[in-house]
Amino acid sequence: MDLELVQVGLIACHVALVLVVGPVFLVGITNRVKARWAGRRGPRLNQVWFDWLRLLRKTPVYGAPTSWLFPLAPIVVLASTLTAALVCPVVPGFAPLSFDGDFVMFAYLLGLGRLLLMLGALDTGSSFEGMGASREATYAALAEPSFLLALGTLAWASGSLSFKDLAAVQGGWPVAVTLRAAIAAALLVVLLVESSRVPADDPTTHLELTMVHEVMILDHSGPELAIVQYASAMKMTLLAAVVASLANPFAAGGEPIATVAATAMTMVLLAAIAGGIGLVESLTARLRFRALPLFVLASFLTVAVAYVVVGQNAGATQ
Amino acid sequence: MDQLVYGFVSLVAGAVLTVALPRNAVRVAVNLATQVIACVLILSQTIPIVMGSQPLVGALMWSYPIERVDIRVDALGAFFLSFSLPMTLLGTIYAVGYLAHDIRGPRHVGLHFALLSAVQVSYVIVYTVQNAFAFLVGWEIAALAAWLLVIWDNRNQKIRFAGFNYLVSTHLGLLFLVAAIMIMHGMTQSFQFADFAAFLGRSGLSRDICFVLLMTSFELKSAFFPFHSWLPRAHSAAPAHVSALMSGVIHKAGLFGMLKFILLIGKPEPWMGWYLIGVSALSAFMGVLYTISQRDIKRLLGYSSTENVGIAGLGFGLGCLGLAIDRPILVALGFGGGILHILNHALFKCLLFYGAGAIYRFTHTVDLEKLGGLGKTMKWTGPLFLIGCLASAALPPFNGFLSELLLYLGLLQGAPELGLGSRPFLPVLALLALIGGLSALSITRVFGLCFLGVPRDAHHVIADSREHPCVVGPMVIHLIGILAIGLFPGFGLALVEAATRLFLAHAGPEVAFATLVPVAWIDALALVAAVFVSMCLALTVARRLLLPASDRRHVTWGCGYGSPTSRMQYSGASFSQPMAYIFRDVLQHASREDLPRSPFPKDGHYHTHYFDAVERALFKALADGEAAVGRVLGRLPEDTRGSFAAGLVTLVILVVLVTRR
Repeated sequence: MDLELVQVGLIACHVALVLVVGPVFLVGITNRVKARWAGRRGPRLNQVWFDWLRLLRKTPVYGAPTSWLFPLAPIVVLASTLTAALVCPVVPGFAPLSFDGDFVMFAYLLGLGRLLLMLGALDTGSSFEGMGASREATYAALAEPSFLLALGTLAWASGSLSFKDLAAVQGGWPVAVTLRAAIAAALLVVLLVESSRVPADDPTTHLELTMVHEVMILDHSGPELAIVQYASAMKMTLLAAVVASLANPFAAGGEPIATVAATAMTMVLLAAIAGGIGLVESLTARLRFRALPLFVLASFLTVAVAYVVVGQNAGATQ
Repeated sequence: MDQLVYGFVSLVAGAVLTVALPRNAVRVAVNLATQVIACVLILSQTIPIVMGSQPLVGALMWSYPIERVDIRVDALGAFFLSFSLPMTLLGTIYAVGYLAHDIRGPRHVGLHFALLSAVQVSYVIVYTVQNAFAFLVGWEIAALAAWLLVIWDNRNQKIRFAGFNYLVSTHLGLLFLVAAIMIMHGMTQSFQFADFAAFLGRSGLSRDICFVLLMTSFELKSAFFPFHSWLPRAHSAAPAHVSALMSGVIHKAGLFGMLKFILLIGKPEPWMGWYLIGVSALSAFMGVLYTISQRDIKRLLGYSSTENVGIAGLGFGLGCLGLAIDRPILVALGFGGGILHILNHALFKCLLFYGAGAIYRFTHTVDLEKLGGLGKTMKWTGPLFLIGCLASAALPPFNGFLSELLLYLGLLQGAPELGLGSRPFLPVLALLALIGGLSALSITRVFGLCFLGVPRDAHHVIADSREHPCVVGPMVIHLIGILAIGLFPGFGLALVEAATRLFLAHAGPEVAFATLVPVAWIDALALVAAVFVSMCLALTVARRLLLPASDRRHVTWGCGYGSPTSRMQYSGASFSQPMAYIFRDVLQHASREDLPRSPFPKDGHYHTHYFDAVERALFKALADGEAAVGRVLGRLPEDTRGSFAAGLVTLVILVVLVTRR
C-alpha cells in the first residue's frame, strides 16, 4: 500500500469516527447495553441520529429572558469541539494536526465549549440551570488537573510533547503497562465526569435537582438542542478515544498493516468503552454530589501514582 | 534620545497646564493633547527597540548627590513603555467618558488628569533610568499619584480608608526596596545599576539578602499573595479607569523590577528560581480562589490581578531556573511566556475594568447579586466584556491562552541539571490546570450574573443611560489587541522576542529565538485559531440559512412553578458554593442566618460574607500589637522625668551595643 493512501485513509477514518460513527454509535451502544441489562430490547443503535434529524427540523422556542448569547453558545460549543477533534489522536499515532503542547490546546478548547454552554444555561435565568452550570464548572475545574497531569506524565514518559505520540510509551511489563493502565483508569474517570455519565451524573434522571449536564440544556430546543447533544456526544467520543488509545497495542504510522490494525482496534475499544459505560450505568447509582470531588480526586491520585512510577524508572519508557 | 526628553517635557508641561488652566474642558483637552504628543514621540523611539533595533543610550547631568543619571532604553524597558504609555492614554480617554458628569460640573478635574500625566512621567523614569536614586523617585511618583487617583471620591470615608491602606502598603514595599538599594549602595558606593550588576553577579549572603528584599518589595508592588490585601480594597474604591490602570499597567512596575534585577544578577542561583515559582504559584492559586467568592466585580477583578501576576511570575521563576542551569529553552519559554502574559493581562484586565466601570455608570452598582440581564441593554459592553472574560480564563483563540501555553510547554521541559532526574515541573502544571478551571468558573459566574438572565434588583437599572463613546472606544482598542495576539501568535511572540533575547544572552552559548520557539509551531497555533474562527462563522451562517429560526419565546422552565421572579435566579453565592465548600478551610466566610421554621414560617434570611483571611489576620495582629503595647505603656509610671531618664539610658545602651565591633 502507498503511504499517501494510508494517510488519506487515516484522515477519512478520523473524520468518519469523529463526525458520525463515534457520536452516533457510542451513545447507541451504551443505551443498548443498559436496555438489555434491564430486560428491554432497547432502541436502534443509531437512534440518536434520527433524534437529531428530527430536532433539526423543529422550530426552536427560546426562554423569555434569553439574549443574543443563547443561540450563539451551541455554535461555539460545536465549533470548539470540532477544532479540538483536529488535534485529538482518535486512532493512536495519528492526528490531522499536531504540534508541541497540542493537548493543552485540546483541553482548553473543550473548556471554551463548556464555558459557553454554562453561559447559555445562565442566560435562561432559571435557577435550576444556574445550579447545573455551577456544578459543571466545579467538577470540570477539579477534573482539569487530572487530565493535564495525566497527559503531562505521558509526555514525560514518551519524551514527546504532541498529543498523537503520547500513547507511544515504550517498554513492557511492569513500567509501561502500569503507567498506561493507571492513566487509562484516571482518564476514564475524567471521561465519566466530563461526558456526564453515572456515577458522576445521570443522563436519564427526571429530577432537575439531581442533574448536572442535562439541567443546563433544559431550555434548549430544536436545532440548538440537537447541536448541543451532538457536540456532547462528539466530546465523549474524543475522550473515549484517548482512553482507547492507551489500551491499544497498535499505533498508526510505520507499517500500513499496523495502521489498519490500530484503526480496527480503536473501533473495538471504543465499542468496549461504550459498553462498559452502559454496564457501569446499569450497576451503580449516581454518587452524592458531596462525594463527587473525592471521585475526581481518586483519578488525580491514580495519575500521581503513574507520575511516581515514571519518576522511579526515568528513561525506561522513552 | 531627544524625542524621549521632549516627550517627558510634554508630559510634565501637560501636568502643570492641566492644573493651571481655567475650565475643565480646556484642561482635559490640553492634557489629552500633551499625552498624545508624548506617546507619539516616545513610541517612535521604543517600538523599533521592541522590534529588535539597538538600545537607546544617554546620560543626564544633575546636581549633587545624583550627579549623573544614565539613561538606557533596552528592549525590556522599551516593551514596558510601549504598552504603558498608550494604555494610560486610553485610560485618560476613558476617564473623559467615565467622569463626563464631573467634567461638566463645577469640580476642578484638572488635578485628576494631571495625576494621570504624572503616572506617565513615572513610567518614563522607572523604565529608562539606570540610577537607583532616580528609579526611586520615579517609583515614588507612581505610588503617590496612584494614591491620589484612588481617592478621587474623597468624601467617602471607605474610599479614604482604602487609599490610606494602599499608601501604607506601598510604602512598606518601598522600605524593602530602599533597604535593598542601601545594601547595594553600601557594597558598591554607587547608585548606578551597572555597578549593582557587578555586585549582584557575585554570589554571597548579601546578594541573597538583596534578592529577597527586592523580590518582596516587587511582590508588594504587584500584589502577590500574601501581600495583596491592599489591592481589592483599592480597586473597588477607585474610579474604573484608575483601577484598570493600577491593575493592568501601573503595578506592572513590580514585575518590571523583578525582570530588571534578574537581568542585573545575570546568572541567578536555582533557589531563586524555585523561590519565584513557589511564591508565584501560591499567588496565582490564592488569587483565583478568592475571585470565586467575591460579589463586588472590581474586587473580583483585583484578586484576578493577584492570580495573573502569579502566572507571569511563574514564567520568571522557570526562566531563572533556565538561567541558573544554562537551558535556553526554559529561558525562552519562561521569560517569553511571563513577559507576554504581562501584556496580555494588561489588555484584558483594562478591558474588564472598563466594562465594570460601564456597568457602574449604567446601574450605579457593581454588586453581582443585584445585576443581571445587562447583555440585552448594553449592546457594546456585553460582547466586549465576554471576550475579556474568555481571554482572562486563558481560553483559545484569545491572547491569554498563548502566554499560558508557553508556560505549559516550559513546565513540560525536563530539568536533569536541577537534581530532578528528567522530571518536568508536572505538579506545578497540575496546579496551573486547576487555576485554569477555577478561573473559568469565576469568569462564567461574573459574566453570567452581570449580563445574562434578568436583573436581580429592578431598582438598580437606569434605563436611559447610554454607553459613552469615550467609554466604549478604549474597550474596542483593547479588544483589537486581544484578538491580534490571540489570532496571530507570531505577532505576540515578535513583541516579546527582543526582551526575551536579553535573558537568553545570559544562558550559555547563543541560541536563536526561532529555534526555541519555531515558526512552524507558531503557524500551527495560528491555523487552529483560524479553523476555530472560520468554523464558528460557517456554523452561524449554516444555522441561519439551513435550519428553522424563530422568535418564539416562552417562559423559562421552572419545574412547573408558574410565577417565578427575578430574585429566584441562581445567585453568585450559590454559584460558587460547591467550590467554596471544597476549599472551605482557605476561603473562610462568616454567615448570619434566621431560617424559616415552624409550620407557619415567617420571612427568614441567610447571609454569607467571604472575607480575606490574610487581611483579617493582618488587622488582628495590628490590633493585638497595639493592645500589647498599650498594656506595657500603661504599666509605666506617669512620672515623665523618670521615664525620660530610663529611655535615655536604654538608647545609650542600644547605641553602644550596635556600634560595638
